[in-house]
Amino acid sequence: MAVFSQAEATLHKVSARPRAHSSIWVTTREAFFIALETLRTHKLRTCLTLLGVVIATTTLIVVMSVINGMNLYIADHIANLGANVFILSQFQWAQGEEAWLKARRRNRPIRMDDYEFLKANLKGYKSLGATGGIWPRPSARYQGHTLDEVSLVGATASMVDIGQEQVEYGRFISESDERHSAPVCFIGQDLVTEFFPNVDPLGKEIYISGMPFRVIGVAKRIGTTFGQSQDTFVFLPLTTFKKNFLGRPGINVSVQAWNAQQMSVLEDEVRVLMRVRHHLPYKEDDDFGINASDTIMGLWQRLTGSIFAITIAVVAVFMVVGGIVIMNIMLASVTERTHEIGIRKSLGARRRDILTQFVMEAAVMAAVGGALGVLLAGLISMVVNHFFASSTPLSAILVGLILSTAVGLFFGIYPASQAAKLDPIEALRTEN
Amino acid sequence: MGSQVASSPVQESHRPADGVIIRTEDLWKTYDMGEVAVHALCGVSFEIARGEYVAIMGPSGSGKSTLMNLIGCLDTPTSGRYWLNGRLVSELTDDELAHIRNKEIGFVFQTFNLLARATALHNVELPLIYNGTPAEERLERAKEALRVVELGDRMYHKPNELSGGQRQRVAVARALVNNPSIILADEPTGNLDSATGAEIMNLLDRLHQSGNTIVLVTHEFDIAAHAFRVIGIRDGKVDRDERMK
Repeated sequence: MAVFSQAEATLHKVSARPRAHSSIWVTTREAFFIALETLRTHKLRTCLTLLGVVIATTTLIVVMSVINGMNLYIADHIANLGANVFILSQFQWAQGEEAWLKARRRNRPIRMDDYEFLKANLKGYKSLGATGGIWPRPSARYQGHTLDEVSLVGATASMVDIGQEQVEYGRFISESDERHSAPVCFIGQDLVTEFFPNVDPLGKEIYISGMPFRVIGVAKRIGTTFGQSQDTFVFLPLTTFKKNFLGRPGINVSVQAWNAQQMSVLEDEVRVLMRVRHHLPYKEDDDFGINASDTIMGLWQRLTGSIFAITIAVVAVFMVVGGIVIMNIMLASVTERTHEIGIRKSLGARRRDILTQFVMEAAVMAAVGGALGVLLAGLISMVVNHFFASSTPLSAILVGLILSTAVGLFFGIYPASQAAKLDPIEALRTEN
Repeated sequence: MGSQVASSPVQESHRPADGVIIRTEDLWKTYDMGEVAVHALCGVSFEIARGEYVAIMGPSGSGKSTLMNLIGCLDTPTSGRYWLNGRLVSELTDDELAHIRNKEIGFVFQTFNLLARATALHNVELPLIYNGTPAEERLERAKEALRVVELGDRMYHKPNELSGGQRQRVAVARALVNNPSIILADEPTGNLDSATGAEIMNLLDRLHQSGNTIVLVTHEFDIAAHAFRVIGIRDGKVDRDERMK
């Protein structure tokens, strides 16, 4: 009995300490642990309940990853005109069909004299080059081997700095080649593979449309874009190209600026020079195109914008379905645990405590669904990246987790308020 | 607490004297059953002093359970006043009542009412969680309370790993842990065999000896015999109130 009274005394002494009536932190933490415990005891039910949220999160993150991956891919493989390079050409790229049809009627091709004009009048650029192409693509031949659909390009020597083709060995077209219209060529890796698997291509002569051209250099491998090889090309000096293929080709003029700020200044200058040259009144539209990497990116982003809008609609539907399933299971859970709620209320749990407990449970459940969705999306993204392009941005993961948790919070409120409203006596009387 | 009530002169005049832990004044509880109104309590008035050991007795249907719910602040009277530990509690909101239950009342139920999935320790911790006691102090006090009921070696067992008597002792520890004004035991031995029941009554006797106020609700005379005073309820009224010892 002595031990008993002593313990009793300790109990009184301890509880005599002053303290705040309640702390949200303590009850919230309790609610969090109850939530984890409940999910642990009902694993299967939790998994089935979470299907909607998992699918929604997965869809959202996978689409965001693929769009992001494609963005990187496009920036890398397609919109890669080179650093601070823009191109003056007959048409503006990536415009609507109507605008293009109109442009086709009134735009004039860019000619060599335009290039010479810009070269004489434009100031401060880093590099200026011109290229011309031919359509349909001709075949190249070497000792009985034929390679069809070769991209034949006439280029100025200055393109060595501007274009994406880099010299692997040999050299690029020189100004001397240009001056003399030398019958030389700079070739891509596909021609090496096809014609010169075991021999040094330098100095060999390949035939295009029956005319011989001596190989002076080989480009580094570029790779493929959407499965299309980017290494099937032959570069000739622009003068050689003119002499042998097109007397007066339409060309593209590439302008390289020193930095991004200067690029927009130069774009404006080129625009003004060309408008003056074409005698355009100030209200008239340009009858030429000035294109940079962001033109292509702009087109692509308009496209992904609509894909993304559809995704958001689909994800919203999944999330609402997932939320309703969570709400349903939480209502069942409240009914199932009425007695527990009665016990907690009899011990001093307020409405807010019970509300917190069930809202927390729904939110934790949905957050687990979000996390599962992130994992699943990560796996899918890895697989997709194998065949295609996919890169999961951190923002997608955050959006997925926050969105799913918010759905749990929102759809948990109604069942939780039902639980909080229960009468303690009724609840205690309910047996389960 | 008293100063809050003092604002009204009417309430002031009826305020119980110091040392009175429970005072009820003309408590009525009426249930509206559609056509007819059922009076479960018809004007119940009594006082219980600090440190008393009182049994509330009555046959089923007498209004005993209704009275217990009112005393336990689980419900509010249709009319009448109820002071608990100097505070008028008959007109409080749900959340204020929850706070009073937490602070002033330790329940011991016939069916134990423990959380099945929680350990004995966590069950005892619950009242402390709902008044925001920090974890460290909470554990210390819950363990202490379990030692008081001699379950110091069963703290991490869940209710289904404990015997009926042990479960009820966990419930007693839970009732004790917040150092309440009264311990309200509703048929505490109803689900126990007589030997275990005697053990629990022994525990309540000891708690009374160490200064706790105990209100025992029962219909069994030999259980009521542990108390020092018996209040008999019949047809919603107090029909006897006598001191036994």
